[in-house]
Parts: sequence; C-alpha cells; structure tokens
Amino acid sequence: MTPPAQAAAEREALAPMPLIAGHPTDAQLNTELLAPIFSPNQTWKILVGLAAMGTGMLVIGLTVTIARGIGMWGNNQPVGWAYDIINFVWWIGIGHAGTLISAILLLFQQKWRTSINRFAEAMTIFAVMQAAMFPLVHTGRPWFAIYWLFPYPNTMGIWPNFKSPLIWDVFAVSTYFTISLLFWYLGLIPDLATLRDTATRKAQRIAYGIFALGWKGSSRHWQHYRVGYLILAGISTPLVLSVHSIVSFDFAVSQLPGWHTTIFPPYFVAGAVFGGFAMVLTLIIPARAVFRFQNVVTDRHLENMAKVMLVTSMIVSYGYLLENFMAWYSGNPYEAFLFFKTRPFGHYAGIYWMMLFCNVVVPQTFWWKKARTSVAWLWIASILVGIGMWAERFVIIVISLYRDFLPSSWGIYAPTWVDWFIFLGTMCFFSLLFLLFLRFVPAVAIAEVKELNHEIQHEKAHAGGHP
Amino acid sequence: MPPMKSLPVIQDHAAPRPPGHRSLWQSVEELEARSSASRGEFAAGASEVPPEMSRRSFMQILGASAALGGLAACQPPREKIVPFVHEPPEDRPGKRFHYATALALDGYATGLLVGSADGRPVKVEGNPAHPTSQGASSTWDQGALLDLYDPARARGYSRAGNPLSWRGLLAEIQKLARGHEVDGGARLAFLLAPDASPTQAGLVRQIRARFPKARVHAWAPVTEENAAEGARIAFGRPLDVQPSLEQARAILSLDADFLSGQGDSLRLTREFARRRDPAGEMSRLYVAEPAMTITGASADHRFRMRGSEVAAFARAVAAHLGVVPVAPALSPELSRAAKAVAADLAANRGRSIVLAGVRQPPAVHALAHAVNAALGNVGATVRYSRPVLSDAPSSSALPALAKEIEGGKIDTLVITAWNPVHASPAAIDLGALLARVPNALYLSLREDETSRRCSWKVAQSHPFESWGDARSRDGVASLVQPLIAPLYESTTALDLLAAFVDAGDRGALRHVKGHWAATSGLDPVSFEAQWERWLRQGIIPGTAEPAETPAVDVAGVAAALGRLPGAKGEGLELELAPSYGLFDGRFANNAWLQELPDPITKVSWDNAAYVSEATAKALGVEGGQVVTLSIGKRSVQAPVMVMPGHADDAVTLAIGYGRTDGSAVSKGVGVNAYPLRDAGAWFAPGLAVAAGKGRHKFAVAQGHFAMEGRPLALDFSAKEWKHDQGGGELDHLRGMPATAQVPVDYSKQECSWGMAVDLSKCTGCNACVIACQEENNIATVGKEQVAKGRIMHWIRTDRYFSGPAASPETITQPVMCQQCETAPCEYVCPVNATVHSDEGLNEMVYNRCVGTRYCSNNCPYKVRRFNFLNWRPEVPDVETLLFNPDVTVRSRGVMEKCTYCVQRIEGARIDARTGGKKIGFVQTACQQSCPAEAIVFGNLNDPKSRVKQLHEDARRYDLLHELGTRPRTAYLVKIRNPNPDLA
Repeated sequence: MTPPAQAAAEREALAPMPLIAGHPTDAQLNTELLAPIFSPNQTWKILVGLAAMGTGMLVIGLTVTIARGIGMWGNNQPVGWAYDIINFVWWIGIGHAGTLISAILLLFQQKWRTSINRFAEAMTIFAVMQAAMFPLVHTGRPWFAIYWLFPYPNTMGIWPNFKSPLIWDVFAVSTYFTISLLFWYLGLIPDLATLRDTATRKAQRIAYGIFALGWKGSSRHWQHYRVGYLILAGISTPLVLSVHSIVSFDFAVSQLPGWHTTIFPPYFVAGAVFGGFAMVLTLIIPARAVFRFQNVVTDRHLENMAKVMLVTSMIVSYGYLLENFMAWYSGNPYEAFLFFKTRPFGHYAGIYWMMLFCNVVVPQTFWWKKARTSVAWLWIASILVGIGMWAERFVIIVISLYRDFLPSSWGIYAPTWVDWFIFLGTMCFFSLLFLLFLRFVPAVAIAEVKELNHEIQHEKAHAGGHP
Repeated sequence: MPPMKSLPVIQDHAAPRPPGHRSLWQSVEELEARSSASRGEFAAGASEVPPEMSRRSFMQILGASAALGGLAACQPPREKIVPFVHEPPEDRPGKRFHYATALALDGYATGLLVGSADGRPVKVEGNPAHPTSQGASSTWDQGALLDLYDPARARGYSRAGNPLSWRGLLAEIQKLARGHEVDGGARLAFLLAPDASPTQAGLVRQIRARFPKARVHAWAPVTEENAAEGARIAFGRPLDVQPSLEQARAILSLDADFLSGQGDSLRLTREFARRRDPAGEMSRLYVAEPAMTITGASADHRFRMRGSEVAAFARAVAAHLGVVPVAPALSPELSRAAKAVAADLAANRGRSIVLAGVRQPPAVHALAHAVNAALGNVGATVRYSRPVLSDAPSSSALPALAKEIEGGKIDTLVITAWNPVHASPAAIDLGALLARVPNALYLSLREDETSRRCSWKVAQSHPFESWGDARSRDGVASLVQPLIAPLYESTTALDLLAAFVDAGDRGALRHVKGHWAATSGLDPVSFEAQWERWLRQGIIPGTAEPAETPAVDVAGVAAALGRLPGAKGEGLELELAPSYGLFDGRFANNAWLQELPDPITKVSWDNAAYVSEATAKALGVEGGQVVTLSIGKRSVQAPVMVMPGHADDAVTLAIGYGRTDGSAVSKGVGVNAYPLRDAGAWFAPGLAVAAGKGRHKFAVAQGHFAMEGRPLALDFSAKEWKHDQGGGELDHLRGMPATAQVPVDYSKQECSWGMAVDLSKCTGCNACVIACQEENNIATVGKEQVAKGRIMHWIRTDRYFSGPAASPETITQPVMCQQCETAPCEYVCPVNATVHSDEGLNEMVYNRCVGTRYCSNNCPYKVRRFNFLNWRPEVPDVETLLFNPDVTVRSRGVMEKCTYCVQRIEGARIDARTGGKKIGFVQTACQQSCPAEAIVFGNLNDPKSRVKQLHEDARRYDLLHELGTRPRTAYLVKIRNPNPDLA
C-alpha cells in the first residue's frame, strides 16, 4: 500500500465511525443546523418555560440570602462552607470541558471537536456564570465583597491580601470567564454572518448583523479570524489547567485534613474535565435528538467523549487512592481519622460511597465499546458522573469540616430549603441560558462543520490517488 | 429612640427644684432609657382615675396636683444621683469607673465591683477586697447585668389592675397597715426572700413589734434548711458551716456541689484550685453524688450513687472512722471506696474535711459535723458561726401559709420571695389560693406566674439601682449602692417593708445609713467619712461572724441517722437539682444564662431527664425521647438525655425550667420539675418512667464527648507526673516547631501578650464564658440557632470524658482564640480583615470583614464565630445601655472572635501613655472572673510576669502544637491525685 493509502486506512481503523454522516452539501448543512433558529420547536418552548420557572427558585434563594443573611443556609460552625462552595467548584469544573474541547483539541488538531465545540464553549460560559455567582453571594457582606476583593486604589490604602487563595480565585475565574467569552464569540462571528444572510425577517437581519461585526467572509477576514482564534486558543489552554488548580488551592493551602493535600491541583483539573465532559454528554444527547443533528454530532463524538471520561476518571481514582495512601503513609492521625473513619463510616458515608461508585466504578464500563456506543447508557452514566463529581466536592468540603481537629467543635450539617433553591435554581438558570443559546445562535459551528465536510469529502475523493 | 426625647430635659430644667424632687439624670443614656420606656406623660397612676372617685378624693387629687405640679412628685424622697458640677480631671467620656456593691443570692452576698461607663453599669467584676469573691464573680453575678437592662422588667405599681403612684401605694399600704394594727397583724403575713441585710432585719423587727401576731416566713425554692437542721442535731442550735479548703488535703463531698456558684463557691473554688498545683501539696477530692456536677467532674474519685444512698455511704465512711458504730451494707465496690476514703481522711487529721450538700437530709449534715469533729478538722478546715440569715428560710413556709389561706385567716400577704406560685410544691395550688387573699402584694423584678395571681403588683428595683446592705456567708457586711437611678418606676424590699411601719417615704438610703450610724456609734461627721470609706471598699470591717466551737452530740447524730429511711433497693428515684444556668428558675428570663451550655452535658436552652446509660437501656429509652415521669398521680413529660457518670436507677431533672409566664426568653423553655417536688424535697422514690413516642431536639453546644485519642486536654496522675519530673512526655507538644520560615522576633517589643490556662485548676464553671459575653457584647442566638451550631461564645469550656461511660473521668478545657503567632486564619483572608499586631495579637478588623468564613474553616481550634444572621434585629433602647462602649457591636455577615480583650489592653496603654508610665497590669475578662485563677494573662516579655512563668512551667503544652501555629495561649496539664488504694 502506498503511504497515503496506508495512512487513510489507519485513519479508517482509528476512526471507524464517520464524523459527519452522509454527504451533506453546504446548503443542506445550513438548513439543518439553522433549523432550530428559524423554525422553533414546541419542546423547546416547554423546556424554556420550565427553566424560567426554575430560575425563579434561584432568584428567591438569592433574595432571601441577601436580605436575611447566610444564616438562611445550613452553614454553621464548624461547616463554614457547604453548598455554596460545593456548587462553585462543581460548576467551575463543568466549565472546563468547553475550553478543553475548543482550545486544546484545536491545538492538537483533533477534528472531531468541530461539531461539539460551540456547544461545549457555551456550556463553559454558562457554567462559569453559575459558578461566579457563589464566591460573591457566599460572603456575609456581598455588597462590600463585590469590590473589596479587587485591587483598586483607595483612600484607605488597603489592598486585598494577595496571599489568600480567594483572591487568586477572583483573578482566575474572571480571566477564565473573559477569555472563554471572547473565544466563544470570536468563533461565532462567521456563523452570525451566515444567520444574518439567511434570515428572512428584518429584525433578525439587523440583530445578527450587529453581532456579526460586518463579517463578509473575505480571505482577509478569514486570515485575521484564524490568527485571533488560535491566539485565544493558546491563551485558553493554560487557563484550563490554571483555573482549577487555583480553585484547588482554596483547599490545598489550608491546613485542614482532607484539604491540605498536594495532589489537589492535577486531581481537581482531571476531575473538572471528567465532570465537564459528563455534562457535555448530558446536554448534547437530548439536544441532538431534539434538534435532529445526529449526522454532525455522531456516535463517534459520543464515543470519543466516553474515552476522555474513562481516562480522566482513572486520574481522579488515582487521586482518591493517593489521598488515602498519604493519609496512611504520613502517619498523621487527623488525616487517618478523616480518611479511614469519617469518610467511609461517618455521618455522610453514603455520599462518600456514592462518589466512589459514580466516579470510579461507572466509568469503568467505558472499556467496552458497547457501553461507549450505547447512547442511553452514556446518558445515564454521564448523569451519574455529574452526581459523583458533586458528591466529591461534598466529601471534600463538608466531610472535612464537620470533623476537624478538636472533637469539641464537631458539628453536623444539613442544607436548608434555601440551599436547595439556589442549587436547583442554578441548574435551571443554566438550562435557561442554554436553551436560549440553542434557539438564538447556532449550536454547532456551521462554518467549521462545512470546512470539515469539505475536508472529508476532499480526502475521500482523493483517497489513494493523490500523492 | 422616640422623637421627643429631649423634652423631659427641658421640663426638668424649667421646673423649680424644691428638695425631695425626683432624681436627676446622670447621663444621656440613662435619660433616654427612661424616656423611651412606655411611660405616659405623667408618672404612673397620676393620670388615671381612681376606681372609686368621691367628691372628696377628687378635691384631694386636684389640690395635690396643684401643690405638686412643679415636682416630679410621685416618688419617695429618693436619694439623688447628681452629676458633677466640676468634672474631676480624671473623668472623661468613656472612662470606666468602678463602684463597690454587693449582690445577694438567697441572702448570701458576693462583693462586687461594677464598672460604669458614662453613667451606666456595663461590667460586673468581683471585689478583690471582699472575702467571698476575692475578685472573682459567678455566672449569676455577671448575668445580673442583663437582668438590669431586661426590657421585660416590671414597671410601676398597681392594685387590682389600677396603676398607683408611689405616693398612692404608700398611702394605700399605710391604710392597710392601720387596719392590721388593730388586731396586732393577726391577718397579716409576709413571705420574704431569704435575707441577711441588717437593715432589713431591723425593719422586720419593727414590723414584728407593730404587728406582733403577723407571720413572717422566709422562703426560697433552694434553701439550706437541711444544713441548719443538721447543725441543730449535731450542736443543738443552727450554725453556718464555713469550710476552708486552703489547708484541706482530703475532701469528701457528700453530694455537695461546693464549686457550683451557690453560696460560698467562689471562695471555695479559689481555695480548692490553689491545692491542685502539683508544685505544692495536692488535695484529693472524693465526691459521692447521683448526677455529675462540676464538683464531681473535678473529683479525683467520684462515686456515683442515688441521692438517697449517699447517707449510707457517709455512714460507712464514718463507721470506719469510728464515729458511728454500725456500717450499713454497701456494694463491695463502694465499701472498698468507703474504707479507702476513711483511711485517707484519717491520715489527714486536721487537714481533711467532709462536706454535705444542700440536698442531703439533716442527719447527713449532722454526720458530717461529727466526722469533722472526730477528725479534728474543726477550727482548721471548718469553722462554725452563727447563721447570717435573719430568718431561717424554710420549705414548710408554703404549706403553713397555704393552710392559713385556706382557713381564710389571711387578708394581706406580702411576698418578696421569688415566684412562689411557680416554685410551690406539687401539693399546693398557691396560684388559686392567692386569688383568695384580698391583698396579695408581690414585689418582683418581672411579671411572672405569681404576679398574675396577686392583686397588688410592686415593681422591684434591680440591686444595681438600689441602696441596701447585705452580708456574705461569713457575716462580712457590704453596702449595696446604686450604679444608676431606677430605669423604671420601682422600689426595693427595704422601702416596701418600711412602708408597713409608716417609714416608706424615708428611702432605703436613710434606713441603711441610719442602721449603720447607730451600729457604728460614731458621731455624724466621722460616720460620714467612715460611710464613704465603706462604700469605696465594699466591705464593712469587723462584721465577720466570730467562729464558735460547739460540741457535737454524737448520740443525737447516731439517733438521727437511725431515723433515716433506708434507701430503697429497687425502683427508680427522682433526683431534683438546681440548674447551673437558671438556678431555681429566677434567671429564666436571662438569655445569657439560658444559652449558657450546661457545664457537664453542654445542653443549652433546656433541661432534660438525665439517666445513666444502663438505666436508659433498662427503660428502653434513648436520648431525645420524651418520657413521662410520674410520682404517684403527678407527672411531667421530659426528654431523656444520657449523662455519663450518672447513678443507675435514678433520673435527674433540673428545676428552674418550664416557665409558663414571663418573657419570650423564659416561656416554654424546658420542663417544669416543680410539680414533682414535695416541699423542700430533692429525692423522690417510686418514680415511674413511661416511654413516649415524641422526640425532642436538644441544642447541644458540644455534641462529641471523646477526645478520639488526640492529645488535646491532657491529664496525668500525680504519681506519673512526679515520676519523671515533667520531662519527656510533653516535649513534643511545646517549643518552637521546625519551620522553614524565619519566626518573627517579638522580644524587642515592650509587650508581647500571652495567656496560660491551668487545666488542673479549671472546674468548668463557665464564669469566664458569661464574663466574656458581657465584656465583648456577644450576642445570644436562641435555641434553634445553637442547635444549628451557631452559638457565639468567644470562649467555651470544652469538656471531654474518658474511660467507661458509667464512671468516666472528666476534663474541662477553656478554649478561646489562641492568638497563634503563625495564624492559619490570617493568610487566607482575602481582604486583610484579620491581621497580626506587633505585640503578637491576632486582630480582627470587623469593619473590613466581608465574611468569607475561610478564616474559620482554617482555624484548627474553631474559635471564630460568624454572624450568620443579624442576631440583634431590634435592640430595645434599654438594652443598648448594656453594650460595652469600648467594643464594636458586630452586625450580620461579619466574623468575630476573642481578642484577648484588646480594648482593655488599649485602655491600659492609653492610661500608661497619658501617665508617662509603662503599660502595667492588664486582666482579660475571663481571667478576672475566674474563681479558680485558672486563666492568667500578661506580658510574655516581662520575665517576672506570672504568665511568663507559667509559659515556662513544666506542665506547659500547646494545643495542637504539631500544626506549628505557635499559639500564645499555653495550657498546663491537669494533674489528678487519685488514691493509690483505689487504683
């Protein structure tokens, strides 16, 4: 076999399922991918209604919190952080898959990212929006925290404490959000132009026209676009690693057993990617069914994501293992007590075992292709992983706090209705934003899919004949 | 504040000021408190139409109104508290002045110094010159301040619901007294609170002279009548016992909770604690008791037994000492204990002591006297003196009174005793009976169950608003002086009693002064100087009761013991006990004391039916389960709590809870145990417990009892400790931990603050907790929030049990901010709200705090407290007077914590600077109140300071030393002194 043919065959072997099903033309792709925007779907309307109602819970929860105080939550002494920071870390973790898919896979030239990157980026932005709410509202006096946490020159001459990981958090999260938003928006521009050009109603043309920033698709535009996109991808890539490393510092630099752990940065990043991919799957499986773009988000995409989850699950499992090993090996009695008594047999043991089941056991099924290609199982597993990752944060935060050094100050934690309202409310708000995204901007990067489509067709046409 | 608050000032200044007018304002705050009270434009009773208005009385009132128009006339010629005309140079706004006064609990006074800022009392301290307090103060003494500013206090006077002015009240009482004078007071009775005031005793004498047939009873729910009766058996007359523990090497407590806060406990705690230092000769404490008390928790050997079995144990000990002939049969374990205790007591002849508790029957008290006499302790560790209470309180007062009321023999009943309706024994429905007394006059600080049933209500002034005198247990008299003019229209027991001898308008001051002028025999000029001196010192020298050396009637003691009913072998026994927070219930309106966790079980805002683990199992009940406790036909429902170390087959229930009336603070908190109580009884056999289905949620401030093998509150037995001279075993818990950081050098500073807490001395009495709460404006949060783990105390007394649950060893450890040199809380705060001072304090900047709670999460001692909600949504105006002006009142969303009383340090610094001196002696609030001297604070850079010496003590260790926090608070290990024969 000639080298190109061999390469093609190898590719075929490694990528047994197509990235784009069939041989759609550009026009077909346009119609198909823009359909949700121009022909609204009844299911969508119902879902938006439900999500909007659920967002009301968030509004109520936050209003009660700000009006009455943190005491409306279950937080107490010694459990100073609970659902607030669990939700923060969980959401920010979910926000990781988007950038990973968009930026890192772009830099590694993984073509399969194309159909899902827009989707994942939007998820990132919306998840980070949920997450960013918590560092602010979890404070006792958010009206001061909203600006005292930023370094601004003031007459009192007081700066934030740059030694505090919470300050690092502020920088990390705000940078991450800004870059993610820019990256997402830049990627959207060609598609916004397509929308502008395809739209039939004047209002739509004007609105999309404004956001398309006068994109004409000229070579010059494309050149600038490519350079800008690549630069942003370059900036985003270290952020994927840094943001969750810094979030992990919130715990790792403290001296609480269960928090004071050097493995936290990589373990948190892996956990974030793990949870993030799970969330992408949880969302994209129903979305592609509802909006019928199975031919661009194919089973191969799903399978690849399952593989990523398997890998990251094993990194996370290694983290669990190492934490326990260090607790034993260090001879630290406080750590040993936490890891071998409180976590497995304490008051919240159920949550600990659930975490292990969801994060360690469930992804092991992805060794089998059958599991990776079963859409139903993938969806269930992705939800279980989402739960597992939430449980992991509960285990780290609440279980470490409620049994710390002095048994005299041990307490117990139970969430209140406000905690639940805020937690479920962020899910609904996230869903609402997501549904609006699906309805008003192309959920799949049309321009990139077209490009990929051309590439694939070109490769196929020239397979074996073109040196 | 009402908008028109300045008006009374204008009126006051505009009005002419004839002699005998109302007292002047001392400060604006005081004025505001008065004007903001819900008083009408006119004084109480002045604007109301009398119930029966005749033409004549109308003219009288009209005439009086005209004559008294310029006066604020509706008060007796009360002593004026006037502002300075020329401010003394040392006075300045915010400057703290201390006034000596005394506070009596059931007649026994503690000498206090009350700190006053800008004319309002803000802090209670013990009077160092007073023998009873020696500078310390109890939780109840401290809590008195909150009572003063309680917005739920009673105001004014009324008869049958119609308000009366003070003059009106005096006139009515005068009329009443004249009526009773006719038949010599045959239909007049007094139910007085136990009292030792010489002035009041004089008034009572006058009353008795005027009404020879009147009955004067002294009564309180908790009395020492058993002790008095015991003395009568042993000595033929009632005598007060004055234990002295300074020289005691072997102490046997027969259910005597002598460290508890009652009676002489401040002095006894101090003396006891001084003997708990292994550097000297240590004492050994044996305690026989049913439920665990703080005395039992401090014991070297604690023998748990039902209350009624203590007598048998005491007899066994006495039999081994040859005081009584026959020893009753005891369990092998207890008889071995009795033998060892007796041997130890005998080995310490003249240096041992046997103490009997108030709950024990008279015969046990008598036996204790006999044993002390036999051991030659009289005159050494125990003295006897004439009782200081004017009238011996007796629990038989209420039954006797009830009988008379039933017989319709009483027309007028004057009650100054605390709430007899609530605390009356089960068999008497005093509430219903009071309705049958035409004139039931009740003097009370607050509206309560009794005031509802009484036709006359007379608001009582707080002791901090009153003139008076009092005597401590050893007889030392103190003057009671007001710190502030009465916040509400109210009067004192002295004034009220004086009204019955037509001297109500003289005012308490004149009565007191008159009494002491007569007693002193000085001429008026030198008496005035003497009076000033007494007021300043807080004690009147030469008033202590002389010691008596009575002979013991051993045969009488033996006979009394023979009459004791034998302890019933079977069945459950109910043990009633005063509560550590609320005592007999009189502090139920005090949120500080309600929230104060029980020193043993750490329950706050509740009492519970305490049982041992074995009894709970036998009854098939568990903690939190509501059970019905019944004795005969009477029953109450109470939630069960398993108490380590409780006697088997017994249930302990604290009195003082379950108030049906009162303010929101007291109402419905806990269970009322009085319905199960017979007059004066503490132990009741034949208790039936029926398990119920209901569940009760306790608010427990410390739910976990065990140390989990961690080196936290450390103890050694004296033997182990002497063995290696303090070397070795503590080395890994002190000293500079290995670190890569260059430690900050504090040695160049003038001051470097530190603290030392001696666990050997701490009894866990909680005085420090309330003192801190008072000093630092710490909020109370209520039961629900305590249950959620949001109690705000900056200092807590951690209590751990070790050993078997049936008879555990207990250790208490006060924990406050450790002021770590490398504080974990500081570096994690994103806004620099908690920072380190150059004198080594870990400072908290409330204004800067945004409330991330990260500091608390990272604090290994969990001493930081967060304002989860606005704990003070609406502070009644009068309560704002309570706040220490030197300490920020924190709002919601802010973290707070112990600061080593930084306001006191800064106050001392200001004084030092203005005086051109070096900063001197600074005491923290917890240290100052501690009766055991367990907490020592000071300058570590001063090599002579006590704290520096303690930091270098062989017993010193750091809590969680291995974390490298380098705490400035050092702990000294507890040394136990167990009897080798009982090992």
